[in-house]
Formats: sequence, structure tokens, C-alpha cells
Amino acid sequence: MGTDDMIAQLAADLTPVRPVAPWRRTISWLLLAMALIAGMVAWHGFRPDLHERMLMPAEQVQWLASVIAGVLAALAAARMAEPGRSEAWALLPLPAVIVWLTGMGWGCLADIARIGPAALTLGTSWSCLGFIVGLGVPLLGILMFLLKDGASLRPGPVSALSGLAAAALCSAGLSLFHHLDAILMILVWHGMAVALVTGIGAVSGRLALAR
Amino acid sequence: MGMAVGAGLCRMRMPATVSFMRDEQGAWEVWMVAAQAGDSAAYTAVLRACVPYLRGVARRRLREPASVEDAVQDTLLTIHRLRHTWDPERPLRPWLAAIADRRAIDVARREGRRNGREVELAPLAETLAAAPGEDGEAASAAHQLRVAIAELPESQRTALRLAKLENLPLAEAAAKSGLSVGALKVATHRAMARLRKRMGATDRGGGPDGDG
Repeated sequence: MGTDDMIAQLAADLTPVRPVAPWRRTISWLLLAMALIAGMVAWHGFRPDLHERMLMPAEQVQWLASVIAGVLAALAAARMAEPGRSEAWALLPLPAVIVWLTGMGWGCLADIARIGPAALTLGTSWSCLGFIVGLGVPLLGILMFLLKDGASLRPGPVSALSGLAAAALCSAGLSLFHHLDAILMILVWHGMAVALVTGIGAVSGRLALAR
Repeated sequence: MGMAVGAGLCRMRMPATVSFMRDEQGAWEVWMVAAQAGDSAAYTAVLRACVPYLRGVARRRLREPASVEDAVQDTLLTIHRLRHTWDPERPLRPWLAAIADRRAIDVARREGRRNGREVELAPLAETLAAAPGEDGEAASAAHQLRVAIAELPESQRTALRLAKLENLPLAEAAAKSGLSVGALKVATHRAMARLRKRMGATDRGGGPDGDG
């Protein structure tokens, strides 16, 4: 079929469409994610020492950084889901992620200073992993579905950013009700969970959305 | 408005707003907005106008004209499928270029895979062709024999050469090699036995293997 014939065919096939801005859908998704996570927090109840922990500036910075990373990652996913937008948008959440990780690293050092090398013993916290992955993956799926059309050109980055967004927000929510004092534990177990959900996004994006 | 947007379009009725636009880029956006609303004439106009641009983007990644046209057609189909993802507030070219580039990459990958699977037969056939007059097995055996002879002790090798290869009468061979006729016979015999053993045949001659 010649190109001209194809154009004629497509024009004959034309129906009206409403342009959809991915960022609008992402805002809806953010509201949904926050509502779900708030629901889980309310159900479990705030951790008893939340008040004291949130008074610590290091905790505040770290927690805020994870929330901001989540929000920015979602917006970056929306931008990347628009064909023609610069690839540089993918870096949007990076500063917040760096602050989050360094904040936790700093907290580890503070823990060591406070209670010695005992701070470095690493226990398991499968429930941490379970919560972030268990709630994060469905949220990831929802955002991928909302962005699927534009994402089809760059499915890997869009889905990876979506995974990061979902996991970062879940991690922030978890910190509000889960009893974990050792920052190393948070760094490792939340960190692993976030990396895992991001990875699931990257892989499944390419499989499910590439067209 | 300048007729820079391609043949045939000057015959089309353009929206009044377009005639005020100097910028060709603005024309495409106006058409695309109309196309999103369902206007087939505008859609045809914008697609025809942008095909040269799409070809240009595809040519950055593809060389064959057939592949370029392939990629352009894939791009047009994708444009059709994704036309609702273009934000009317944004310029159209980057959106078109992103789709065209992606489709060109896909075509390049498809072709790369296809070429990788095809095996060139001619060079392979030449490689396998035997030297004239020699088939593989014979060539291998001759080589083995040469190696085996080279491994013989000096005296045996000389004897073999004189008696068998040069086919001299025993008396003459003995004189040449400095061995007695008896010694020459023994040396020749040993050489043959050794060669036989080396080449894998059974040694009927018996006798100790050793330097002579």
C-alpha cells in the first residue's frame, strides 16, 4: 500500500478524539494512592513513638524526601508518557531520591554514634518488603494503565518511574506506622522494596506496553 | 500563505486563521487540532505535509529507501493510534519526531535480526572446498606421515630416505650413509616399524624400538 493510499485510508477512518494530558491522570492517581495509603495507616494506627521521631529533623527530612520523590517520579512518568517531551524529565525525582538515601545513610551513622556497632546488625523485615511490594505493585499497575498510550514509545522509563513513585509513597506511609528503629533496617528493607518495585516496573513496562 | 506545505494543498480550502499565519509550523498545529476534532480534510493535509519531515527523521537511522518508507508508514499508523496524546498547546514537530524515531529504530532492529539469521552461502562453500587432487582424509594422513618421519631418530630417517625414498641399491645406500649394509637394513626396518606404530597399524616385525 502506497503512503498516499494509507493516508487516505486513515483519513477515512478518522473519528473525533479528546486530547488527554497524562499529567491530569497522574494527579488523579496520586490522590488515589494517598487515599489508599492513608487508609492503611489509619487501619494500623500511627506508631506510638511517631511524635518523638517526627521531631527529629533527620527523620523529617528523610520522610519528606521520600514523599517528594514519589510525587516527582509520578509527574516524571507523566511527562515521559508524552511523545516529544525531553528525556531529561526522567531525572526529575533524582535529587529527592539522593536526599532520601543520604538522609538514611546519615541516620545510620548517627545510630552507630549513639549505640555503637550494634546498630549495624541487620535483621529481617519481610513485612516491610511485603507492604511496599504488596501495595506498590497494584498501584504501579494502575498508573501504567492510565499512561499506557503515550507510554508505548518509552515503556521502560515510564513504568520504572511509575514503580518508583508507587514504592516511595508506600515507603513513606509505612514509616508512619511500622516499628523500625534501626535506620539501617529501613535503608535496606525499604530500599530493597523500592528497588524491586521499580525493577518490576521497568521489566513489565517493556513487556506489556511496548507497541 | 506561502505554499511551502507541499503539492496539492493550495487547492484545499484552508481555515481563515491559517492565512494569517506566516509560520508553516503553525499551520500543522491548526490542522492537527481540527483532525483531533474529526476533520478528515485537515487530517489528510497535515499527514501529507509531514511525510517529508518523517522521512527525514527515519533517514537518520535507516539507509534503504524501502526501509525508510516502511518506517514512515509505521509512523503514520502510530500517529493515527496516538493522535489523542498530542497536547494542542505544544508544538507538533517534536511529537511527530519522537514517534518517527521510535518506529525507525524498530525497523532497524527488525532488519538487523533478519540479516543476522541469513547465512551467506558462497564464502562458506569456498572454505570447505578441498585442494585439487586431495580429499580431506588423504591430506590428513599425509600430514601425519610427515610428522612421524620427522620424529624418527636421525639415523633411521637417513636410512629411510636413502633406501626407500631415493630407492638406491642397498650397497650404494650403505656407502652413502656410512652404515654397513646390515646396519642399514636394521635401521630401515626399525624406521618402518616405528612409522607403522606411530600411524596406528600393528607392528608385525617385532623387535625393540629404539635408536639404531
